[in-house]
Amino acid sequence: MFYVSLLLLLLLAGSDCRVFQFPFQTNEPYNIAHRGSSGEFPEESVLAYKRAIEEGADFIEADITATKDGKLICFHDLILDSVTDVHDHPEFASRKQTYVVDGVNVTGYFAVDFTLEELKSLRLIQRYPNRDQSYNGSKLQIPTFEEFIAIALASPKSERVGIYVEIKSPTFINHHVKWSEGRKFEDVFLNILKKYDYNAKYLTKEWLDKPVFIQSFDPSSLIYLHNKTSSPKILLIAPDSITSDTKQTYEEIISDDYLDYISKIVVGIGPAKEAIAPVDSNNKLLPMTDLVDKAHARGLEVHPWTFNHERNLLLPFDYHQDPYREYDMFVNTLEVDGVFTDSPESFETYRRQWRIFSKRKRPYKNE
Amino acid sequence: MWVGAFFIVFLAAVAGSSCGAARLYRFPLSNRVAIQDWRPFNVAHRGSNGEIPEETALAYKRAIEEGADFIEADITATKDCVLICFHDPILDDVTDIAAHPEFRGRRATYEFEGQNLTGFFVVDFTFEELQRLRLRQRYSFRDPSFNGKLQIITFERFISIALEASRTVGIYPEIKSPVFMNKHVQWPQGKRVEDSFMEILQKYGYKGKYKSDEWNKQPIFIQSFAPTSLMYISNITDSPKIFLIDDYTVRTQDTNQSYAEITSNRYLDFISNYVVGIGPWKDTIVPPNITTGYLMNATHLVSRAHSRHLQVHPYTFRNENQFLHFDFHEDPYEEFEYWIKTVKVDGLFTDFPGSLHRYQEWNSKE
Repeated sequence: MFYVSLLLLLLLAGSDCRVFQFPFQTNEPYNIAHRGSSGEFPEESVLAYKRAIEEGADFIEADITATKDGKLICFHDLILDSVTDVHDHPEFASRKQTYVVDGVNVTGYFAVDFTLEELKSLRLIQRYPNRDQSYNGSKLQIPTFEEFIAIALASPKSERVGIYVEIKSPTFINHHVKWSEGRKFEDVFLNILKKYDYNAKYLTKEWLDKPVFIQSFDPSSLIYLHNKTSSPKILLIAPDSITSDTKQTYEEIISDDYLDYISKIVVGIGPAKEAIAPVDSNNKLLPMTDLVDKAHARGLEVHPWTFNHERNLLLPFDYHQDPYREYDMFVNTLEVDGVFTDSPESFETYRRQWRIFSKRKRPYKNE
Repeated sequence: MWVGAFFIVFLAAVAGSSCGAARLYRFPLSNRVAIQDWRPFNVAHRGSNGEIPEETALAYKRAIEEGADFIEADITATKDCVLICFHDPILDDVTDIAAHPEFRGRRATYEFEGQNLTGFFVVDFTFEELQRLRLRQRYSFRDPSFNGKLQIITFERFISIALEASRTVGIYPEIKSPVFMNKHVQWPQGKRVEDSFMEILQKYGYKGKYKSDEWNKQPIFIQSFAPTSLMYISNITDSPKIFLIDDYTVRTQDTNQSYAEITSNRYLDFISNYVVGIGPWKDTIVPPNITTGYLMNATHLVSRAHSRHLQVHPYTFRNENQFLHFDFHEDPYEEFEYWIKTVKVDGLFTDFPGSLHRYQEWNSKE
C-alpha cells in the first residue's frame, strides 16, 4: 500500500514537472548562417552547419535543389564544378553538358544529371581560395535535405536552431527533373518540411518550436505554396536582375504596388545588400535607398545578404575593412530584422555588444 | 584697468596662437584628458593608414579621432638634414615620383641593410624637392581616393599634430635606418641622426621616465631596430625606449646580431638596462604554420620579456583577411582578442586604430 501511494506520488510529481523550454529568440535580428559557417568550412556541409550552431546562429541556411532521381539535396550551384572534386572523378567525365539557364549557356557537370548515390561519391571543397582549404576532399559530402533538417533537430533545446531553406532555380529543376504523380519540385520540397512538422504560422508557439523560413527568388513558387503551407515565406531580391519565372524587373518587384501585393504572401524580403546600400565604381557607398522603410511600412521584415569579410576582397571603403562597421550600419542604423552571414560567429560577437548599446526604435517581432 | 589691459593682451595671445599663423605649435593644455593606462596601448601604425595614405597629417588626425593612444611614425632624413615622417628608404612605392621627369636622373643603387636596392632614395632629395611629391596608398586594396593629394610631413609637424589634439595623444617615433642615415646624410659638425632626432624632441619638451608626471603630459616611446642608437640616446634622455625585433632571418643593422641572440635571456637582461620594452614582429611570437595557415604554439618570448619588466608591443595588426591567420576566421576582432586576452601584450601596432578602439571599448572599459 505504501509503495502504491509512493508510486502514485511519483507519477503525479512527474506529470507536474515541467522541463524548461528555451524560447527561440525573436527579440534581435536573426543570425542566419549563410550556407552554414561557410567562412570556415566548405559551404553547405555537415561541419559548416554544426559549427554554425555552436557559434550561436539562429538559423542554418541551405539552397535546396534536386538530383536526377528526384532526391532533394543542399547545394547552391547548378553545376558541381566550383565546390566539389567532380574533376577528380574520371568515371563522370562524359557527363559534362551545356544547358541554357535564364537565357545564358552554362557548361559544366550539372547536379540534375547525377543520381544521389553518384553525388554522394563526390567530396566538397572550399569555394574561395583565400579561405581555409584544409577540409577539401576529406570527408565532406553533399547532404540531403533530410540530413540537413536532422542537424537542426539534433541541436540541444538551449541552442534551438531554425532552418532557412531556399527553393533554388525551380524553373530549371522542374524542366530537368520529373516526379511521379504530377508532383513538382515545390510539392516534394513541401512534403519534406511537413514530414518534420515544419508547418506553422510565423511567431506562433508551434513555429517557435520549429522555426522555418521558405525563401525563393521566384515569386510564383512562393505563391504556389501559399495555400499549401502556413510556414512563413521570404521573397529574395537582387538588383539588376529579372525574375526567372515571371520575367519581372527589379524596379517592378520593389515598386509600391508589387510590395503591397506580395506582402499578402510573404512575411519579409531578402534583398542583396546593394539594394539597400548601393556602391559606386570606386567602392564607396552611395546614399541608402528607401527599400527598408518601404518594407517595414508594410509589415515586411528585411533580411539582407550576404555579410562576409572579404567577398571580392573588398567591403565598401566606408567601412574601413571592418566587418563590424557594416553590421552596425545595417543592424543599428537601418534596423534590419536578420542578416545572412558567412561568419555567424562574428555576427554573434557584434550582437553581444548591440544588446548593450542599442536603443532599438523598431518594435520587437512579436509585438 | 590693469586687469583690462592684461585681458586684452591675453586675448591677443590666444587669438594669435589659434590663427594658424606661421607654424605656431601650441603647447599642450595642462587640463587635457590623460591617456588611458588600464588596457594595452592602441598604437596607430603610420597613422590610420588602413583608410588614408600612411604617415600623412590626415592619417594621423584620423587616428586621433578614432581613439588611438599613440600615433606612430618612421623618422628619416632628407639630403639637407630635415627629419621627415617616411617609412621606406626609397620614394617609389608610396609617392608619385615616377610622374616627375625632373628627378629622373636621381635613380640610384645603394646597399641598404645588407641588400642592393635601386630606386629614388629619400637621402638624395632636399625637403623642398620632396614637397613637390604627392603620396598614395601603399596597398591597391585600400581606399585610393586620397592618392595624389597629400604631402610628406616633417617630424615637427607630426609632433604638433599630437600636441594640438584636444586630449593627450602620445607619439611613438622610430629612429629609422640610422646606419644608412648616418652614412648618406651630411650631418653638420660630426653630429648623427640620433642627435638631430633628440634635439627636436627636446625642443618640444619631451622628457621624463615612463609614467612620470612629465611623461603623462606628453607620452612618448622612442623605438628602433638598432640597439646602439637606443643606447646612444640613453645618455641624452630618460624618455622610455622600445627595442624593435624583426623576423628570424634579419640581423641587426648596427651590431649584426641574429634574432636568436637578441631574444636570448642574456641579451634581454642586457637591453632592459636601456629600454622599457620590445616591439617584435608578431609572427615570431606566435609563429604560423605556412602550409595550413593556422597558428602554431606560442613561444615564450612574452613571458620572458614580462619577467624582466619589459613591455611587449607587437607589430602589425591589419584587418584584411589576407593578413589574418585562419584561427581568427577572417575576423580582426578575434585577432585582437587573442593577443590581448591570451598572449597579454601591452600595446598593439595597428593599421586600423578605429577597429582596435572599438574592440577595446566593447571589452575593457575601466
